[in-house]
Amino acid sequence: MTNDRTPYSPEEQIKVDEFLAGATLFLGPDPEIMRDHKSAARTPLEEELLSRPIDSDALDKVRKRIVAGLDEAYEMMEQTGAAPGAKWGDLTSAVYSAGGDLVHISSGGVLAFASVLHYPVRFINKYWAQEPSVGIHDGDAFIHNDARYGNIHCTDQSIIIPVFHEGELIAWVATVVHEGENGAKEPGGMPSSSESAFDDGLRMPPFKIFERGVLRRDLLTFLQNSVREPKLQYQDLKVKYYAALRIKERVLAVIDEVGRDAFIVSMRKSLEDVEAEARRRVSLIPDGTYRVNLWSDSTLRENVLLKYPCAITIRGDQMIIDWRGAAPQFLNRAFNSTLGTSKCGMNQGILAFLWPDLPRGISVMNSIEVLTDTGSCLDPTDDAPLGQSLQGAFKAFATTQALWSKLTFSCQEKFGAIIAPWFNQINTFLFGGITQHQEFVGNVCADLNGMGGGARAYRDGEHSMAPFFAAMADIGEQEIIEEDVPFMQLISKKIKRDNQGFGKFRGGMGYEMALAAKDTPFWGFAAVSSGSKFPATPGLFGGYGCPTLPLAKIKGVNVFEQMKNSPENWQFDFERLLNEQPLPGAKYSTHHMGMALELANEGDIFMMCQGSGGGYGDVLERDPAEVMADVEAGYISSTTAREIYFCVFDADTLAVDSRATEAARNAERRARLERGRPYAEFVEDWVTEAPPQTVPYYGSWGDDNSTIHATAWAATGPIKLALPMSQMPPIMLPDPKDLAIAGLQAENEALRAAASRGDA
Amino acid sequence: MRRISVDIGGTFTDCFVAWGQEFFHSKALTTHHNLSMGFNHALDQACQSIGKDRREVLGEVDSVRYATTLGTNALIERSGPTVGVLVTAGFESAIPLSRGRGYGEGLDALAKNDLSSGTRPDPLVPPRLIRSLRERVSYSGEILMALSADDVRRQLTGLIDAGAQALVVSLTNATENPAHERLVQEIFLSEYPAHQLGAIPMLLSHQLSGRKGEYVRTTTTIIDAYLHSTMYHALSDLEQNLRANGYEKPMLVNHNTGGMAQLNSTDALQTIHSGPVAGIAASEHLAGEAKIDKIIATDMGGTSFDIGLVTVGGGKHYDFMPVIDRWLVSIPMIRMVTLGAGGGSIASYNSLHDSVQVGPRSAGSDPGPACYDRGGLRPTVTDADLLLGYLDPAHYAGGKIPLNPGRARFAIEEAFGDYLDLDPVEIALLIKSEVDDQMANGMGMELRIRGYLPEEFTMLAYGGNGPLHCCGIADRLGITRVLAPPYSSVFSALGAGNTNQMHIHERTIAINLFSSATRQLFENFDLFNSIVEELEAKGTADIVRQGMDPLKVEHRLELDMRYGNQLVTLAVVLDRSRLYTVSDTLAIADLFSREYARRYGEGSQSPEAGIRISTVRVASFIQGRSIEFGALAPTGELSRAIPDATRMCRFPGFADPLETPIFTQSTLGPDQRIDGPAIVTAESTTYLVEPSWRMETADRGAVWFIKNKNSGVETDD
Repeated sequence: MTNDRTPYSPEEQIKVDEFLAGATLFLGPDPEIMRDHKSAARTPLEEELLSRPIDSDALDKVRKRIVAGLDEAYEMMEQTGAAPGAKWGDLTSAVYSAGGDLVHISSGGVLAFASVLHYPVRFINKYWAQEPSVGIHDGDAFIHNDARYGNIHCTDQSIIIPVFHEGELIAWVATVVHEGENGAKEPGGMPSSSESAFDDGLRMPPFKIFERGVLRRDLLTFLQNSVREPKLQYQDLKVKYYAALRIKERVLAVIDEVGRDAFIVSMRKSLEDVEAEARRRVSLIPDGTYRVNLWSDSTLRENVLLKYPCAITIRGDQMIIDWRGAAPQFLNRAFNSTLGTSKCGMNQGILAFLWPDLPRGISVMNSIEVLTDTGSCLDPTDDAPLGQSLQGAFKAFATTQALWSKLTFSCQEKFGAIIAPWFNQINTFLFGGITQHQEFVGNVCADLNGMGGGARAYRDGEHSMAPFFAAMADIGEQEIIEEDVPFMQLISKKIKRDNQGFGKFRGGMGYEMALAAKDTPFWGFAAVSSGSKFPATPGLFGGYGCPTLPLAKIKGVNVFEQMKNSPENWQFDFERLLNEQPLPGAKYSTHHMGMALELANEGDIFMMCQGSGGGYGDVLERDPAEVMADVEAGYISSTTAREIYFCVFDADTLAVDSRATEAARNAERRARLERGRPYAEFVEDWVTEAPPQTVPYYGSWGDDNSTIHATAWAATGPIKLALPMSQMPPIMLPDPKDLAIAGLQAENEALRAAASRGDA
Repeated sequence: MRRISVDIGGTFTDCFVAWGQEFFHSKALTTHHNLSMGFNHALDQACQSIGKDRREVLGEVDSVRYATTLGTNALIERSGPTVGVLVTAGFESAIPLSRGRGYGEGLDALAKNDLSSGTRPDPLVPPRLIRSLRERVSYSGEILMALSADDVRRQLTGLIDAGAQALVVSLTNATENPAHERLVQEIFLSEYPAHQLGAIPMLLSHQLSGRKGEYVRTTTTIIDAYLHSTMYHALSDLEQNLRANGYEKPMLVNHNTGGMAQLNSTDALQTIHSGPVAGIAASEHLAGEAKIDKIIATDMGGTSFDIGLVTVGGGKHYDFMPVIDRWLVSIPMIRMVTLGAGGGSIASYNSLHDSVQVGPRSAGSDPGPACYDRGGLRPTVTDADLLLGYLDPAHYAGGKIPLNPGRARFAIEEAFGDYLDLDPVEIALLIKSEVDDQMANGMGMELRIRGYLPEEFTMLAYGGNGPLHCCGIADRLGITRVLAPPYSSVFSALGAGNTNQMHIHERTIAINLFSSATRQLFENFDLFNSIVEELEAKGTADIVRQGMDPLKVEHRLELDMRYGNQLVTLAVVLDRSRLYTVSDTLAIADLFSREYARRYGEGSQSPEAGIRISTVRVASFIQGRSIEFGALAPTGELSRAIPDATRMCRFPGFADPLETPIFTQSTLGPDQRIDGPAIVTAESTTYLVEPSWRMETADRGAVWFIKNKNSGVETDD
């Protein structure tokens, strides 16, 4: 369709623009802001200041002093924050230019904030600066959490403060904490059962919570009424606010010392220096296109296959990250991730693994273009639920991290290690209910921070070391956690046997956990992970991906009574509990790892395992002594040692028979050659035109990313689609409970019909 | 008073002898194979100055006290025994997993942030030596699953068969209910009696730390077990040596809590870092003598820069979870922050920002700075100081280390020549400026995070490079007074001589001073007072056991407090030792509120979230006699010192070299004034008086650096 309207005259255009501005219904997320991840060009003032002679050393000192102020604020928040996220390192502090470019972040904390924090600042600048009912004044502070306006997910809350120097807006500072509870459909702020944006809980676009230094108690009261933990909402608001004030104080002190011009030049130079270095580093990577395809096996409500393809193209100092072909958004499932959030994943991969030494700021992304299909789960529309957007964002991270080692393997200058993919899922429990102190809480266990590290090209990965998104984050101390919440981890920190990404160097392993509520009138657990059927993490260069493990429940008995009265029945072991089923009268079940909040009776057991990092290289090259060390530590079984690593050893002494092992490995090498087939022949047999009809598959198929395959639900039931993303109808799946009820009803009707027919 | 105090460091054994009103000090190389030799050597030097022999001196002194860093070396060298550990079933991997973050403890920010290369240190206890017991105690101390004696015997046998030479028992929530840990010990002693040869020591976690946290408490106990025999043998040998030389009284060992005790009342872990902590103790003593409210003590040596705080009336500054080597532990230790810069810190070009970078790598003492001419090729802070004219190539370290300026120049040219179009001396200026700035940033952050303003502090500068860089660092923080203390070359030994007998006992307990759920204020005063009484009784018993008068024992009551569910608590020193009415409860709430506001800002307090006490702590001590120095400030009319020579030196902010007078410390008396720029050379350090600063000398070698009120203009402030 073409627009045949006669263009307006300049005068008319001004009037039309004025009219439209006055008739704005809703200041929703602004695509102009939200789709642009790069730092802005120099302002005329910056241009002028940078045309003068520059003392690089003096500017560097300004930079370090600002970062010292950010670290000070970070430590303040970590010490005083009440949210579990604050206690275990899920927070950050930052400084932006007056225009909203993120320039510096604290040395510790979640560095993915580097790719997301500038959006709300730009929104404030664009919409609230000139708005008479809002404005920006010295002493103001804005609060924000809505991922649609720029955030990793709505459970993180930030305080954003303008910094004025002699009446001029010269910078912004911000503090962010993963708060947890936000009034969402389920306690804890990350609802896996979110079916619409309105189930995601509080959705705060940036608005003013402190007006010229005074807290707006009316708004605070509204916020407290909107969440399950009003105490947390208030306490951590103060924590973030006073930490941000501390940064503001430090920034103003630096400006007083070095002058306004030097401060502005330092900020701008920081952005440009980082961009220049990032471009230099991209140009070191051999030109070409590098590809990987990952899949997720869950919407968190049901098992499906969601494709996350990634192609990274290097051309000179430019990097293009292409996520086209990813699964479509689901309008009643929670795993969609906004484009800004997805880019967080990418940024995380860059700053933690590719260039871990590079200062963290937005301009590191200036040399990167990102291609997506609008309407995909990595670039959804504003009405998509985002309750568990980490699913999409973590896969975005995983696709890029899986490629960094391939991109840089042959580079002479490397900045991070060659490493297999890190574990990338939140394998832990969320919780909500009334504590032993009669308080309502809703949050997530710190175990999410115990992700297994990938194997390196030179050594094994580290077991449950840190989440890929936050260095030095903490899995906590169970004794301390139990003081505040009414559940116990009966299995708390025990590396799960055989939960290993096998390889020449094995991935870091994850641990098992078994939880049971105690001394509470009302309690529930939830889970928000995928990977119980399809490995969440691949290996590298022949290494295995992480194993798949289910969420498991043991119900129908009170484990605390069992431990007291029949202690011999209880096993502190995930594997034995499920295989031996030692508790009489209990019901044992396994599930995928998306579980909406489920009420827990006292003594019900909920179990899960933290995941493992990918392995590196061929298992047949692993040092048998290392294999035996893992057997001795209980990390792998003898079966795994024999059947995966082809080690021959004495089961009692664990002494390796070197010759027999070498012979077994050589035999396996020969067997592999015998199983091998020419590639073309393999493709001929293996590749099909479309995904199997029996699999609920979403995303592109093969190399053609222009056609998206999906199963939509029509009135008559599921229908298979293969369309360009732009033509994809809204994907909404039925509630699994409805399907279960429908199945039971059909069964019931069939039985009734059979009965009426007099069938036996 | 006649007293000997010793600091046994990795390189030197420092000795300080108070002999009546006279003080003597000496240094000798530490003899790691037999510490007594180094000690005797150092003591003999001091005795020579006194004019008596070793036996005479040891026979007449009232005490001998030791501070030492030996434990740290034992950890680094992994020279401890094979330790086996028993934990609660389901927690077998808590130690190997080290809270996830164990890969980065003790490392710099860059290493912490590089996940791709992050690697945990080799474990002190490998997984095969960690066994579990089938038992469980709840957070409140309720036994949920009883311990089985058969299980205990089975696991003990397994560990001993696996080669364990020391055993640690750390069961979940043992601080709330230690019955199971005690039962394990009982069974162990019945199976493996202590009187038998080859008896294995067993340490129970609740006895080492009263705090919750299964990982940190277990690590604390493991390290203690690991160091126990090394420290026991080393310190016992020292005690035997004292006996053999005529000293009959108990030997006293300095603790990292800032106190001290006899060897029989000392855990191995309490000796870790006790040397540097004794330096803080010395600073505290000086603060009292010089009537200074707030001191930031700085020790800048060859490889690191340690800082600690002393605030009179503000309580001690503790770390309750310090990092020892690469491990997080749970003991109260005087807080010290180590910043990674010293004279040996390597300077390099930062291509990202086209600037000069210093550290984190260090040339250490081997090969050391390039100018040492011992094979070091990279430029260091000391090389820069040499090129700027601050160091005398012929008389550095008392002439023991000749410096080669050509090597320093060459190293700077090599490192920076391709990038910076500057003369090596100009680059040296940037290096000095950068290192001063880094140290100032670290100090500023440490002070501000605790709610203090740096400009309110007096800086204490000791260590080989402290007096050389103190003016530059102080300038950046707005600090106007710096004291280079007397006996700065043996400052920790001096501190060891001034600590008091002290024992700390604490108990983790959940007290709601104000419950936000019920809106009730705490009124169970009997409970609170009984806990305090119990802790005071323990502290008194510790001190009385060492032959002290129970009537002289004093106690300091501290509470760790938090608002709501905050993780980190703030230590509040109480102004009362018992609670009787709700007014006492409110007074504690107010004390906490004021301390919190001072630290985090007025208005940041959150009483509405509830006020909780998590730990009650009692420090029991005896005020001993301390070594008194008298006036540390000039007391008479100041006279201008006469320089020995002049040298051309470069200073930041001055385009051209300045003719700088050179003085020798040994020729200076008290009450002399030297205006900057000036350099004073001493055997173990160099005092650099920067332009706009002046130096004033006092008794016993104490030196003040004072910032002139107006830059470059002399004032009498």
